[in-house]
Amino acid sequence: MNIENTQSQMRKGVLEYCILAIIRRNEAYPGDIIDEMKNAGLQLLEGTLYPLLNRLKNAEILTYRWVESTSGPPRKYFILTEKGEKFYDLLESTWIELSTGVNVVVNGNYSKEDTVVNDNLNEPNTTEQ
Amino acid sequence: MKKVININFQGQVIAIEETAYELLKQYIDSLKKYFSREEGGEEIVNDIENRIAELFGNRLKLGINCITDEDVQSIISSIGRPEDFDTEYQESVYAYGETPFEQFASTSEQPKSEPDGSERRQTLYRNANDKIIAGVCSGLAHYFKIDPVWMRIVFVVLFSVLFWVYLILWIVLKPKALETNVARRLYRNPNDRFLGGVCGGIAAYFKIDTWIPRLLFAAPLFLNLMGMISIPFFPWNRFFDNVDFNWNINMSVVVIYAVLWVIIPRATTVKQKLEMMGEEEYIKSIRETVSDNVASVKSKTDDGDNYTKPYAATAAVAGDPEKVSLDAMPPEPPRFHAAKASANATAGSGNTGCLNALGILFKIIFFAFAGIFAVVTTGMMIAFLVAGTKFVPLKSLFIDQGYENTLLWLSAGLLFAVPIISIIVWIVRRSMKAKSRPVIGVVSIILWVVGIFSATMLGFKVAEKFSVESSAENVQALSAFSGDKLYVDMAVYPSDYYSFSRNFGPGSDLDNFPYYTINEDSLLFSNIKLQIVQSQDSLYYVRTISSSSERDLKIARKNAGEFTYPLQQQDSLLFLPEFFSAPISQGFRLQGMIVEIAVPLGKKIEIDERLDDYDNFTSNSSVRRKLKKSRNNKTFDWDYGEEYILENGGLNKTVILTDSI
Repeated sequence: MNIENTQSQMRKGVLEYCILAIIRRNEAYPGDIIDEMKNAGLQLLEGTLYPLLNRLKNAEILTYRWVESTSGPPRKYFILTEKGEKFYDLLESTWIELSTGVNVVVNGNYSKEDTVVNDNLNEPNTTEQ
Repeated sequence: MKKVININFQGQVIAIEETAYELLKQYIDSLKKYFSREEGGEEIVNDIENRIAELFGNRLKLGINCITDEDVQSIISSIGRPEDFDTEYQESVYAYGETPFEQFASTSEQPKSEPDGSERRQTLYRNANDKIIAGVCSGLAHYFKIDPVWMRIVFVVLFSVLFWVYLILWIVLKPKALETNVARRLYRNPNDRFLGGVCGGIAAYFKIDTWIPRLLFAAPLFLNLMGMISIPFFPWNRFFDNVDFNWNINMSVVVIYAVLWVIIPRATTVKQKLEMMGEEEYIKSIRETVSDNVASVKSKTDDGDNYTKPYAATAAVAGDPEKVSLDAMPPEPPRFHAAKASANATAGSGNTGCLNALGILFKIIFFAFAGIFAVVTTGMMIAFLVAGTKFVPLKSLFIDQGYENTLLWLSAGLLFAVPIISIIVWIVRRSMKAKSRPVIGVVSIILWVVGIFSATMLGFKVAEKFSVESSAENVQALSAFSGDKLYVDMAVYPSDYYSFSRNFGPGSDLDNFPYYTINEDSLLFSNIKLQIVQSQDSLYYVRTISSSSERDLKIARKNAGEFTYPLQQQDSLLFLPEFFSAPISQGFRLQGMIVEIAVPLGKKIEIDERLDDYDNFTSNSSVRRKLKKSRNNKTFDWDYGEEYILENGGLNKTVILTDSI
């Protein structure tokens, strides 16, 4: 069993959720997304981000508009579509379900619901070392 | 010490060390390879290039003079090499396809798209991206990794055989948007075109000057015209002296061009131009046009279409093939959304199988009709060709070699070929859903009008040949013989001859057409009118009045005098030849002859039924005048095979049959 493989698998699972969350908050271009992820301590290669965005765009979850930039070529600013919003909601509920379940399982605590909810907030950081 | 070069990268001019440029070039090439199999792969690479350009811009803003190896290295590591994101990629597909999306899809009632394992294998599809009719050729070419144009040429050349193959493949194969998998392709060059850009495209493809293919296409016509224009002082003329307008060669050149025009796609997008010209050349031309006015180009290309963005970053890719091939082929990227189209198709066939079957049924019916139509048209074309060859010897009787011949072919070609070609082009363009190009219509209408014009010219030219009529007269007295009855029989033409009559099926009446002698030196006419008049003395006479039309009275007269009509007399037996003959050089000029037998008073005459083969001759004006001039122009009515006696100023039957017998 390769530890790196498992780690990256863990990360991958939530990647779309994170990206959509960022875009949902604010219209964003890939540079923003990378920075924000980095600030949160989540390492993300641009080579991974671009194809992902492209696929989300092709699935009509995202759309974009061109914005002129002073520092180079025009940028693609991504926005969530209506379909994307629904998609995000589903992801969100899945995530809550998952993180709750994972915490319960990991802590072996089936009764203390409140602690589980608190742990939820730290979840992204705990998967990241 | 390092050399610094300027590159035009995504519309920005960037100073970069040559080694860094090489590094970047290789990197982008590896990205391209990696993303090449994913739907929208070019867009991804383009986006990444954009990003790199931005990072370069940021760096240059800091006051650094040029991009160095280290800069490129750090950018590459921040973006990641294909090897780095490979594993993540696979998993992302897994996660994406299996967990969230599946759920999502089921709620939004989207056809479930699943990672399709079979897609990794090369499968035969119809190409929805690049098609003339249904994308079959293009799909096949994709399968064999060749330029679709070659496949199309094969299908056009072997049309009759491959037509059915095409239909079957059309029905059987699923459509799918396929990306080109060949580096160089033959396109029509919109920037370097005279007609359709075919020559420009060929030149770009083979990396030669445009005038070479153009000359090759124009040479047959040019040589022909040189030969036809008989300018005496033109010294080359003797080389082409007898060159006629060569229909076969010239027309096939035109047809080849038209076919190529149809089957070669026009390079519209930048990517296509890149494939057409090869990257280096294209970069060269881009550099010339773009680099002075970066801003304007950029704003123009910002209109949302990613594919038309200047692809200048490919400068980074142009270059050593060795280096490229040394690169390990990046692992195959997964295709998740690439599967969308086919997933839809499979879902479609699953969910609405009934509708699908109905669609296929319609297709089959449609193509059955199309097939029948194609077979019938082919048959008709062949029939026309065969029939046409029969008319070929006739043509020379009306049309002079050289100028008139050219006019004939020109008008035939323009009048018939232009509408046919334009209809085909229209259908093809419609089925391609190409934008309408009014130029094509205008050009074909002009060509057609030119065809009408030349046909009219030809008509006048031909009509002119019949404008004047002349005749020649010849009187021959028969030697006296014992007895008082002249029996007139036919001397059958002694050898074989070519005949046109009754070869064209029912309804054609070509009996009046002349026949050829076997060695094709004279024309044989049976265009003879036999009549009987009263002789002025006690001798039988045979008077022949030959007549002919021409554009020139002198020639007409000369022609009329050239007829040969030898009479043979054996005592009371007179043989009239089956035909009169004229030299073939005269051509068909309404040649005709009146044979007038003068019978003395009180003498008898019988004309054999075999002479019934003579055609009745409608005399021309000159002949009528001649007949009027003769003092005794009263002709008698008579029948073949009856004995007549000339008495009391009339021709009477010697045996009178009554109805009672």
